Amino acid sequence: MNNPYLPMSVTIKKIIIENEARDIKTFDLGFNDKKDANKFKYTCGQFAEISILGVGEAPIGIASSPMDEDLVQFTVKKYPTGVVTSVLHNLCPGDIIGIRGPYGNGFPMKDFEGNNLLIIGGGFALTTLRSLTKYILHKKNRARFKDITVLYGARGPGELIYKSDLKQWDQREDINIHLTVDKGDENWKDLVGLVPNVLKELAPSSKDCISLVCGPFIMVKYTIPPLLDIGFSPERIFTSLEMRMKCGIGKCGRCNIGSKYVCKDGPVFTYKELQGLPNEY
Amino acid sequence: MENVKLKIIKKKDVLNFLDSLKKEYNILVPMEKNGDIRFSKFNSGQDIPWDYRNTKISPKEIFFPQAETLFYFEAGASAPSNRSRVSIPINESKDSTSETNNEQRTTNYLIFGIRPCDAQAFSLLDKLFGGDDFQEPYYLKKRKQATIVSLACNKPQITCFCTSLKGKPDNEEGSDVILFDLEENILVKPITKRGEEFIENLNIWFKEAKKSDVEKKNKLMDLSLKKIRSGVNLKNIKEKLDEAFDISFWNEIHQKCLGCGICTYLCPTCHCFDITDEIDSGAGASPTPEGKRVRCWDSCMFPLFTLHASGHNPRPTYKERMRQRIMHKFNYCPENFKEIFCVGCGRCIRNCPVNIDLREMLISIDLS
Repeated sequence: MNNPYLPMSVTIKKIIIENEARDIKTFDLGFNDKKDANKFKYTCGQFAEISILGVGEAPIGIASSPMDEDLVQFTVKKYPTGVVTSVLHNLCPGDIIGIRGPYGNGFPMKDFEGNNLLIIGGGFALTTLRSLTKYILHKKNRARFKDITVLYGARGPGELIYKSDLKQWDQREDINIHLTVDKGDENWKDLVGLVPNVLKELAPSSKDCISLVCGPFIMVKYTIPPLLDIGFSPERIFTSLEMRMKCGIGKCGRCNIGSKYVCKDGPVFTYKELQGLPNEY
Repeated sequence: MENVKLKIIKKKDVLNFLDSLKKEYNILVPMEKNGDIRFSKFNSGQDIPWDYRNTKISPKEIFFPQAETLFYFEAGASAPSNRSRVSIPINESKDSTSETNNEQRTTNYLIFGIRPCDAQAFSLLDKLFGGDDFQEPYYLKKRKQATIVSLACNKPQITCFCTSLKGKPDNEEGSDVILFDLEENILVKPITKRGEEFIENLNIWFKEAKKSDVEKKNKLMDLSLKKIRSGVNLKNIKEKLDEAFDISFWNEIHQKCLGCGICTYLCPTCHCFDITDEIDSGAGASPTPEGKRVRCWDSCMFPLFTLHASGHNPRPTYKERMRQRIMHKFNYCPENFKEIFCVGCGRCIRNCPVNIDLREMLISIDLS
């Protein structure tokens, strides 16, 4: 029987510090065994357990695109109480860690084809949305999707992550980027304001459009009402939930919300599905 | 049902019978230790406590031990910054049974004398740990090699309420063979194919049961069934709980709970677990410290169970946690597995330090 608990060995290839506070880093990982690399096939919105032997495991959304070859990326925020994230942040390129997965349902990319997409991210929760955006912008995929709009907000200019991606996307004609910060600085030329407020002002059309919202819970909570006002129906609003997890395979019980397990039935849910779950996330 | 061939074995022959199986099976029997009955490795010469009520710790621990090593790894030095600390696993479980010995090791299990409610609990756990999507290898590996021989209850306890669920004193679900204690003799009834084969292969130990034996058994079971006086109507419990997430009932019910988690630890169907890493410091003889990843029981009654690193906790108080325990067993599991995850063994009632009675809770939900 296949043992789902055994992590696959990966080497940290590169580490990018994403923000001014230096508590968000992106880790480029390469598989040490070709067989593992072939086995690890994922879709946008899935996650994996990052496994540091002797320390523990933490579920982290996959930040790279399924189109990226020989590379899996995770963007990890370090919390003072986060045992695994704290150790991970102290590692260097060349260090070997483990991952197991991919887990979760991911975004239903096939269903999104032929639609406009409104992608709304806040803070470091842009990770899986970045995976999705990169996937869509790939030359093999772009034609299958219509207009792409990204609204991305952070506390300040220094807290925006994936700066090089944002710059690249901004230079493309086939994607609209709106950046906003809670408080700008002297060099800040983009929008200022909280994501829900900016969304109300932008008021993008909901026609043939699917919206995806990932961010701090409080942001997601206040972003959904304006989306409904604009005309998005609950089944066309997607978000990704976070819960504490251990096993990742729907056994250990801690990510259980109602009859769903976030690890295997999620983490991606539509707002309509959330309305059917107990308010416990 | 009664056309199954019933057999008889003399009670005084049972120890010899088990003795003869020691090479083929890891035999686990109820055994008294420090005043509690617990499933332990069968020792020749130690009698079976035939009239035991039930074990304190549920026999789920046989297949799902409180702590189980998933795999070992080389741990390098102990300083967190040392790079050699992060290495790849070196081997899977060396041996997942808790007791190590020098005897020849067999991977077959014979669980002898388990109460029918606990046997039924295995059939529930099978659904969870099996499942269509992911299989839980550590539980299933042992479970698949186990023959379950249960012992019907002649004397239910006052906390027993199996008849409110699917159970009864001679419930057969989850058992391969069921035994009936007729004082001098033990009546043996095979249930599954595995059970039939087990009895057939060991035919020399058994005689055909006489009509009088069967009559005696039926009488005992009738009496036993009548002794189970407490009951809850659980007929529409799932549907009732569908509407009960926000009722005021939850504000009251948790108030005397201490959050000790004993109800979940002793429960034969509770299965939530944690995964942690342990490192032997290597200060002793071993030059390279050994690390292991361990799966251990956890409980939805503990605040840490759902606490995020960010500080957010979706179930911050006793209220949410008590509700989770009830909902998981009586609403979410029926939704996912078409089964209530409770067998009515009454352990949570007997052992709660503040006398919270699950039956009373369920009745109150029924009324509210």
